[in-house]
Amino acid sequence: MKNRRPCNVFWLVWTLLLAAAAAGVRMWQKATAFEGSYGLPVRGATASVVLVCVLVIAGAALAILAARQPVTTPPRSQIRGRRWDMSFFATGDVVFLALVWFGAFCSLAAVPLLFGQGRELWKAYQLAVAMKTWQGGDNGVLGMVTAVLALLAFLGLLQIGRDGFRPGRRGKGGFWAALPACAGCGWLLGTYRNCAADPVLWDYVPLLLAVIAGMLMYTDWAGMSCAAARPRRTLWLAGMTVVCSWVALASRPDTGTALLLISQSASALAALWRLPINLQHPPKVGSEDKLIPAVPQGTEMTTENKEEDTHE
Amino acid sequence: MDEQLRDSQPTPETPDAGPVLDQMDDLGLTETAPTRDTRTSASSRTQKDTSLGYELYLNVRTLVFVLAALILVFTFVVRIIVVSGSSMENTLQNGDSMLVWCLGYEPKQGDVVVLTQRSYQNDSLVKRVIATEGQRVDIDYDTGTVYVDGVALEEDYIKETMRVPNYGEGLNHVTVPEGCIFVMGDNRNDSADSRYPNIGIIDTRSVIGRAVMVVFPFPDFNLL
Repeated sequence: MKNRRPCNVFWLVWTLLLAAAAAGVRMWQKATAFEGSYGLPVRGATASVVLVCVLVIAGAALAILAARQPVTTPPRSQIRGRRWDMSFFATGDVVFLALVWFGAFCSLAAVPLLFGQGRELWKAYQLAVAMKTWQGGDNGVLGMVTAVLALLAFLGLLQIGRDGFRPGRRGKGGFWAALPACAGCGWLLGTYRNCAADPVLWDYVPLLLAVIAGMLMYTDWAGMSCAAARPRRTLWLAGMTVVCSWVALASRPDTGTALLLISQSASALAALWRLPINLQHPPKVGSEDKLIPAVPQGTEMTTENKEEDTHE
Repeated sequence: MDEQLRDSQPTPETPDAGPVLDQMDDLGLTETAPTRDTRTSASSRTQKDTSLGYELYLNVRTLVFVLAALILVFTFVVRIIVVSGSSMENTLQNGDSMLVWCLGYEPKQGDVVVLTQRSYQNDSLVKRVIATEGQRVDIDYDTGTVYVDGVALEEDYIKETMRVPNYGEGLNHVTVPEGCIFVMGDNRNDSADSRYPNIGIIDTRSVIGRAVMVVFPFPDFNLL
């Protein structure tokens, strides 16, 4: 990491390895750590213990990577536009664009599925209320709300990809991430509501953790454009989003939920692909009228682990 | 993990601009770079531009973090569960909201617990633990008495004298197997519980937690 090469390869390799390991262990757990027709957990099952260990190790490994991530703070004169607002600029970067737009369209594909499920439950709820047989449970409203929010997430991700690939004169690299973050709130509430009466934590905790990690990642992503950048934490959350999403996918959720998990996983991979590069080599695009006359080459200052950006 | 990074320019009072400017001075850039005063005015303008979005973002971020923390707490530590039905009257009324403690809970005799018996229904049930593993339960409908290990329980919490349920006597003489509990509702004559064969003995892994208190409605507030 000291030789100025971008760390995105480290991030991607480690994240994918940890995610694959965690997903594999989760599948092992599904096969061996539950018993009976109602899937009660086997006490002290090896697979469950190993899965907890793998998740803890993943969190620690990604935290170490985040702590070692170099963050370059160039001289004021080399910065055009706002420093952190440009953290997701990826001019001409097809990989970033493809990953973000893939995530966007996965989110879009989830909309009709989630809305359809919610509508069916709503109809059943209305029928039960009319017959005075309603005994509580999911009435489908949160499912439909999640579907609408997933549509907003699609628009946000679409715009993030566009802003990153062809940045304008003023950066809005992360602002649109607030939309999928809001979608995550609705999704989280719906997920929690559906599992409130489930005594088996393993049935839903992986999904809850994945939704929370994704929601926090998008929130930090949006913070890049709101003068509240926390780039290392954003990277850590992106890594954990991939790991937790893959674990949740290994739990075989319904198709709508799986699409949302794939969507946030792809977005997190896009962040891991681009953010380390831009942290080490800040892009030099933005409003020309904000330019300060150039300085000689080689005056770049590196502030590893010392972060207080003061640049406009 | 890392301290917050503000991308707006510092105010004149902010000390952090100093080292950067000084470093530029050291590099001989003072002739080409703007003066500190010029930067100061730019700084004020930038802060004005960003203040609304920044404040808005901070509020949204706070809400998101609080939501995430609440969901985690209400998953692993406690839960709020609403009573549905009359099987626990007079201890609990239909519609009461209870605080249920989940973290590290092991069922004990006399506790009011929330459980989900999937063989009966997917929604949760609220019952009282009558006996735990290894204990013998005998129910005498003639006297309306429950015996645990041969000792009659003093049950001042039940609603009325117990009668034979409409599904028959059900499980009324049983020894609770390992890892299981025997539960009954306080409203013995209107409760589907361990006596009912479709519910039967409850595996402790089906227990969500112990009802600690009624939190809503406020007139019903009390510790259980």
